[in-house]
Amino acid sequence: MASLEVDRVHIAYKNVVAVKEASFTADAGQIVGFIGADGAGKSSLFHAIAGVLRFRGEIRYEGHAYHSPKEAEPLKPYIGLMPQGLGLVLYPQLSVEEHLKFFANIRDIPQDKAFQEYKKKLLHMAGLEEFPDRLAKNLSGGMKQKLSLICTLIHKPKLLILDEPTTGVDPLSRRELWEILDQNRKEEGSLTLFSTAYMAEAAKMDKIHLMDEGEIIAQGSAKELIGSARPYTYQETHCQECITFNRRTYSLKPLSVPHAEPTLESLFFINALKKGKIPPPVEVLPRETQIDIPQIVMEAKGLTKRFGDFIADDHIDMQLRRGEILGLLGANGAGKTTFIKMLLGLYPIDEGELYLLGRKIQSPKDRQQLKSFIGYMSQNFALYKDLTIRENLLYFANMHRLPLAKASERIERLAKSLGFWDYMDNFPKDVPMGINQRFSLAAAILHEPVVLFLDEPTSGVDTIARAQFWQLLHKLKRIWGISILVTTHYMSEAQYCDRVVVLRRGKKIADASPKELERRFGTDDFEEVFLRLYEERR
Amino acid sequence: MRAGVIKGYMQKEFKDLVRTRMIYLVYLLPTMILLLFGYGIRLEVTGARTIIIDQDQSRFSKELIDKFTHSKYFNAKVLLISPNEGLHRIKQAKTDILLIIPPHFEQDLLHGQKSEIAAFIDGAFPLRATTMQGYVEGVILHAAKELAQRFGLRHPLITLNHRALFNQAMRDENAIVPGLIGLILLVAPALLSALLIVKEKEMGTIFNFYSSPIKKSEFLIAKLTPVFLLHSINIFILFLWATWWFEVPFRGSFWLYWVASELYVLISLSIGLLVSIVTNRQIVAVVLTLIITIIPGFLYSGILMPISSMVGESYIEAHIFPVMYYNHIIYDTFLIGQGLASMKNILYLAILTGYGALLLFIGALLLKKELR
Repeated sequence: MASLEVDRVHIAYKNVVAVKEASFTADAGQIVGFIGADGAGKSSLFHAIAGVLRFRGEIRYEGHAYHSPKEAEPLKPYIGLMPQGLGLVLYPQLSVEEHLKFFANIRDIPQDKAFQEYKKKLLHMAGLEEFPDRLAKNLSGGMKQKLSLICTLIHKPKLLILDEPTTGVDPLSRRELWEILDQNRKEEGSLTLFSTAYMAEAAKMDKIHLMDEGEIIAQGSAKELIGSARPYTYQETHCQECITFNRRTYSLKPLSVPHAEPTLESLFFINALKKGKIPPPVEVLPRETQIDIPQIVMEAKGLTKRFGDFIADDHIDMQLRRGEILGLLGANGAGKTTFIKMLLGLYPIDEGELYLLGRKIQSPKDRQQLKSFIGYMSQNFALYKDLTIRENLLYFANMHRLPLAKASERIERLAKSLGFWDYMDNFPKDVPMGINQRFSLAAAILHEPVVLFLDEPTSGVDTIARAQFWQLLHKLKRIWGISILVTTHYMSEAQYCDRVVVLRRGKKIADASPKELERRFGTDDFEEVFLRLYEERR
Repeated sequence: MRAGVIKGYMQKEFKDLVRTRMIYLVYLLPTMILLLFGYGIRLEVTGARTIIIDQDQSRFSKELIDKFTHSKYFNAKVLLISPNEGLHRIKQAKTDILLIIPPHFEQDLLHGQKSEIAAFIDGAFPLRATTMQGYVEGVILHAAKELAQRFGLRHPLITLNHRALFNQAMRDENAIVPGLIGLILLVAPALLSALLIVKEKEMGTIFNFYSSPIKKSEFLIAKLTPVFLLHSINIFILFLWATWWFEVPFRGSFWLYWVASELYVLISLSIGLLVSIVTNRQIVAVVLTLIITIIPGFLYSGILMPISSMVGESYIEAHIFPVMYYNHIIYDTFLIGQGLASMKNILYLAILTGYGALLLFIGALLLKKELR
């Protein structure tokens, strides 16, 4: 009998199904992974197992069956849950030491000598022993996650449930988190459930579950899963009833071209094919207005932003050339959003010079004149929740002073070519994230800008929508000839950019094409590339 | 129930309250409300701007005018302007009252004929207008009574009770400050207890409660005890403000005041607990708590309108909210001093106890260790 058995667990919120009849088993000592985009149902499944969310079905842990949070109550001393969100379970005003004490207190752990020893060991593993008095609010993102993890480990849980502990954390801290986990598994023999949006972490897990739209679509070891995708993966080609992305073509029917080596991501495409959900093609029509674009669209020289003592961006030089997709990469808090906000004039620039379209930006008036040339899509998509998609777009058109007739015509053209015409009269909350993402892009390019700033456009969007979005950006670049600056914390997305700039704690640590980076570090795994980059600068 | 768990959680609450400086709010808010409302609400009217147009210019009219100019309730001026001009000034809000003494005023009275004085009152604020009307009537009737006596009329045509009209015995502070204590002790603890729980929900730290073996009872005690203790101190602070600063007399038993107030704080923090169950955001919790505490706390406090004069729905509503019961006891301890000799006080104290226990029970029942 397996240690943990999840039997047809079904979770619904009002009329939205979060998890559809999920079943799996896991054994003590294993690290079991759940991979999938935001909204795939990982968190809901974890909350059900941790006994903090109502569900239908049955979960059995070490022979104890439960069907509700209430029934799970006797198991809570053995469960450790670390929910999703950077430092979510931490109190900003408590210090590192006080956190460990608090978590021990609420679990009624006697604070004897053995406990002190264990606490010391945990602090050492997390690299926090030097800052016992630092308040949680003054810790970096990576340190917060490490503290959250050791707080979750303080009662030596037998069932450890970690919900995206590595999301938004810099590569080095991520590796350290994994080291803590590995050590804990060896010494305590606990079962660890681990969810992540980073495919690269899958290799470290004993067993992987791929989740998509509330369903577990595949399970097995990384090797087995990749093996299962091999028959359907071909080198890039054109065909009917198949999906092509990132130099690979996926098809259920045999193709005449040679096979290609699949990745875990391939499984999501094959799943879509099997379900007959081939995404409709996305087209970009030529722009209506023509304009001469200078060779260098944006140039920042020593751009700096300070918040009190904290330097969010420290003398950053950057160039955005004509017809280029520039990726701005970095962990949470590296200064990506602040940088984009300076470009847009949402934050005043503390130091440095900024040139947009060859013109030096000094006053808000300069900027005002340039607004019609810039398109911006903010993090989490700045949509009005109480307006339908059509009304939202009309509103954006109005802001750019497009005449109504022209605006409606352009909106229709964009909606049809970007594939959200069927959703025009829905509210943003009622449509998939991928649709919201594309319609936000439509809102940003409605006035046909020559430069586009995108802040984390792919977070929270499923794999296929993400792939489609990148294809869309490339088409936009080719057909419109515009330059795109895009931020992301998915390091693997670097390979879709023409050039990447990597930020770390407000400093630029790399500025090169993905090819150059691959060559320099001798690997095409960008997770690895960034880990090395971070290490170089330690 | 494990004391170590409760103690550990409570220590965290106190540290958090102090380090987030929320503790200032706990002690500044009640005092601020007391000072703002204590000075801000004035039910009596003094120095009403009055214009008198004397068209008679007689001895009698001068005597009547003297009565107005020598009263602290009026700031009267005799002006030689037309009645229309006088009315215009009311319209411009340059004066509150316009009195016109007609020609032949003295002559008519001496001949035993009826005479009419015109009194125009700015009615923009009905409560103020009614008060001013009462004052004007009072002065004129008083003058008329004197006049009647002077003529030796054995049965004066007019009798009046000017004490009722003038509200002389009652100071505003005495009427308002105890009622304000009932308002403050309903608002402040509810706000704090709602915030302490909703804050954890909003930030996500509530998972520490949901996913650990802490019992509901332990969590509730750890959350509500700090609120109860901190606001117990406010009971004394407010008492001092009332008796030392506003010089409200205290005629009853301090013990009764204290016990009733502690019960009332318990009711208030239970209201906060209920709010925290239905809300997930701090801002919503604040707005909701303020609405459901300030409005009844003010309307049914007895400050603006005595409960006994309420009819229909308002009478029923007044009995639903706890304010009425507490305020009855508070007004008694401050102004009357019957204490437990009054059956009504004992009954109301019992109602408060039941009220608090019921709310706390419902709150504990509805609190769930799960996401929703």
